[in-house]
Amino acid sequence: MILITNNPKFQSVPEPRCDMEYIAGSYRDVLILVRDRIHQGHKLLSHPLSGSVKPNETPYKSILISKKTGSLDVDSLQIIEDSISTCDKFMQNPINYGHNNQDALLADFSEVDYGLIVAAIASASR
Amino acid sequence: MKLELGNIFIHDIQFGDHSRVENGVIYINEEELRAHLLEDENIKSVSFDIAKPGESVRIMPVKDVIEPRVKAEGRGGIFPGVISKVDTVGSGRTNVLKGAAVVTTGTIVGFQEGIIDMSGPGADYTPFSKLYNLVVICEPVEGLKQHAHEKAVRFAGLKAATYLGRLAKDLEADEVESFETLSLIESFRQYPDLPRVAYVQMLQTQGLLHDTYVYGVDMKQSITTMLYPTETMDGAIISGNCVSACDKNTTYHHLNNPVVRDLYARHGKELNFVGMIITNENVYLADKERSSDWSAKLAEFLGVDGVIISQEGFGNPDTDLIMNCKKIEAKGIKTVIITDEYAGRDGASQSLADADISADAVVTGGNANMVVNLPPMEKVIGHVKLADTIAGGFDGSLQPDGSIVVELQAITGATNELGFNRLSAR
Amino acid sequence: MAKFRVVHYINQFFAQVGGEEKADHRPESREGFVGPGMAFNAAFGDKAEIVGTVVCGDSYFNENLETATKEVLDLISSFKPDLVIAGPAFNAGRYGMACGTVAAAVEKELGIPAITGMYKENPGVDSFKRDIFIIETKNSAAGMRDAVKVMAPFALKLAAGEEIGASVEEGYIPNGIRVNFFEEKRGSERAVDMLLSKLAGKPFTTEFPMPDFDRVEPKPAVADISKATIALVTSGGIVPKGNPDRIESSSASKYGKYDIEGVFDLTESTYETAHGGYDPVYANLDADRVLPVDILREYEKNGKIGKLHRYFYSTTGNGTAVASAKAYAAAIGKELVSDGVDAVILTST
Repeated sequence: MILITNNPKFQSVPEPRCDMEYIAGSYRDVLILVRDRIHQGHKLLSHPLSGSVKPNETPYKSILISKKTGSLDVDSLQIIEDSISTCDKFMQNPINYGHNNQDALLADFSEVDYGLIVAAIASASR
Repeated sequence: MKLELGNIFIHDIQFGDHSRVENGVIYINEEELRAHLLEDENIKSVSFDIAKPGESVRIMPVKDVIEPRVKAEGRGGIFPGVISKVDTVGSGRTNVLKGAAVVTTGTIVGFQEGIIDMSGPGADYTPFSKLYNLVVICEPVEGLKQHAHEKAVRFAGLKAATYLGRLAKDLEADEVESFETLSLIESFRQYPDLPRVAYVQMLQTQGLLHDTYVYGVDMKQSITTMLYPTETMDGAIISGNCVSACDKNTTYHHLNNPVVRDLYARHGKELNFVGMIITNENVYLADKERSSDWSAKLAEFLGVDGVIISQEGFGNPDTDLIMNCKKIEAKGIKTVIITDEYAGRDGASQSLADADISADAVVTGGNANMVVNLPPMEKVIGHVKLADTIAGGFDGSLQPDGSIVVELQAITGATNELGFNRLSAR
Repeated sequence: MAKFRVVHYINQFFAQVGGEEKADHRPESREGFVGPGMAFNAAFGDKAEIVGTVVCGDSYFNENLETATKEVLDLISSFKPDLVIAGPAFNAGRYGMACGTVAAAVEKELGIPAITGMYKENPGVDSFKRDIFIIETKNSAAGMRDAVKVMAPFALKLAAGEEIGASVEEGYIPNGIRVNFFEEKRGSERAVDMLLSKLAGKPFTTEFPMPDFDRVEPKPAVADISKATIALVTSGGIVPKGNPDRIESSSASKYGKYDIEGVFDLTESTYETAHGGYDPVYANLDADRVLPVDILREYEKNGKIGKLHRYFYSTTGNGTAVASAKAYAAAIGKELVSDGVDAVILTST
């Protein structure tokens, strides 16, 4: 499987159980890249809206897709499109965590995203 | 399985020399409780405070809320597999300090959230403004990682609630309630003509800060399974879930599950409440398919006519909710689902991240994006500066006068998806 | 406190001008209340009064939308109202469209609060529920008393600038804007009630209607496209130059059927677009961009398709009621089937 992510933690803590495609972009950029891959025949393995931290709160997103490709998986497409709509809906009100402790906050968001996708990778690796 | 709940009504909490409950007042020896909680090496310091209904007090950021209970008679103890030894719970007699709660706070992550206002407009949106709260503020040792910090605070809350609960062990209850669920065959024989109903409870299980434990087991690792509803009343299910404040189930919610209570209320009269199916909300999509397949299979196996399905959380759980609903309806079993909404601040956006035509009976806990103005409170327990980083808050949420402009998202329990509150939307 | 000045908009029937035969009645104004306005006036008590009534025939209004709206708006503003009430229209479709148009225009152009009332199936509901509050009424004028009972106090609230609650609290038709409010019972109890009703086969109302899906199962692919007759249908508004059938630029009330026998290319001098929802420049320069007649003629010549059907069908998609679109599709589909068409290319914008 392939991990699509913009979470910098994966650059310092490599994940041996999957290939990685790292994108230095926004949460939405990650969703769009996953959508592109789905159109190219990959299947979605984890839900893009993992975690209850909202799209307008956290900058980080990690998603698992299959390594093998096949014909277009309509369920995967439906889920990623719904997720992009949801992201856009929340981004109408972006939250600016711009104050003291910005680095610590970003580290927290990175840690939570990491924790959730690692749990998914564990499920996938059973 | 039959459980009696002995409710002891509490109308005050005070610190005192000797921990006890007398005439509806809980007296707490601070030092003793502190020493007990500091047994955890990961906790550097603990302080306590008391918040009472009607006071001009704001508690934030709230982690969990737990009700003090104790097993007075019968098998097992409260929070089996976590605080008490592993043993099957849900029978005998459990005493409850009704009207009281332990509230844990602590900045596990910078964006940690959860506000409880004990008075003012914010109080209307959280059930915890009506309780006498012992607030437990824990500071972790330096450099403690997030997951260890969360675990430490989680246990501190459960231990504090257990400590208080034990004070009620030999007390005479002000009121006794009784709940019984028979075996499948006996229950069918008892009320053969009433519609058979089960409760499917979805539990948050995504990973760090998003977990739920059943008899101490991480529900993420479990297949959909079944419980006697009374097991929840003894703390079989506890919360390791931190996000979002408005729709995560606190341990208090699990102990007082309103769907369980309201189904029992009509049991033997208009319906036959057969039992509970608990399922999870994993991030891995194949897990979702597996879990929802099982929910539908168990519902069919139980021979029920209808189910109520409650959700926990936002976004990816919407997919589990719809899967559970579709698959159960496809078995010819009627469903009602309970969810909340994220319809945007103007209420005009699509409320759910997933949808299906078979979800034709929905109860909503309200739009979590609604913006509220919380006036300044005289006293803040916890960390007020966090208002700006509280989920649902936005740049400049914290006003110079101490008032907060936030979305309902930030208020603990505001849009609860067990149907705990009267809030709704149309 | 000064009374709110209210203007009431009604059609020829309620103004006692006449029935269907007088539906072409041109807009006129009268002092005070007329017909059902009396009930509204009484319900307002000392808080408001109907200072004037504007009347217009439903046919005249619907067939002259732009000019009639302007005429009605002028008549309304001459009374200098604080509030406008249209109808209620109950289940009358054209009256509903007129009331909705008037109320929405009053809000938008005059900045004055306006409401109306309709039965939930009135086509005016889908068209206007997002623009103005539409109070839910029964399906005939027998429901006038009940309609006034809800509409009058709601209108006063709106005029006074008070906060408007959830649809179920206030009585307006849900307009897609979710509003929080507190119910009598907690959610879990409401869930049990709902389940018991559902199990008993009794009616129940969901608190959150799922979005409308209307998914269409795709048919199997055409077996041999080189032998198939393909027809072109468009909601992009392509019409012969001059728009002979006067297809509207939005909220189309009709579709056109046009003969392209011997036509191999759509040109600037022979075809244009009637659609008002997109920049028409490129479609007017070469209508093939929306209705690809030229390409299909090429395919016909090269044997890629069997034949391009002799007629194309066209309407404009924007603002056109779903019900209307369904009706046109059913009629067009019937003709296409009897003409032996195998497949359709449907273009939109």
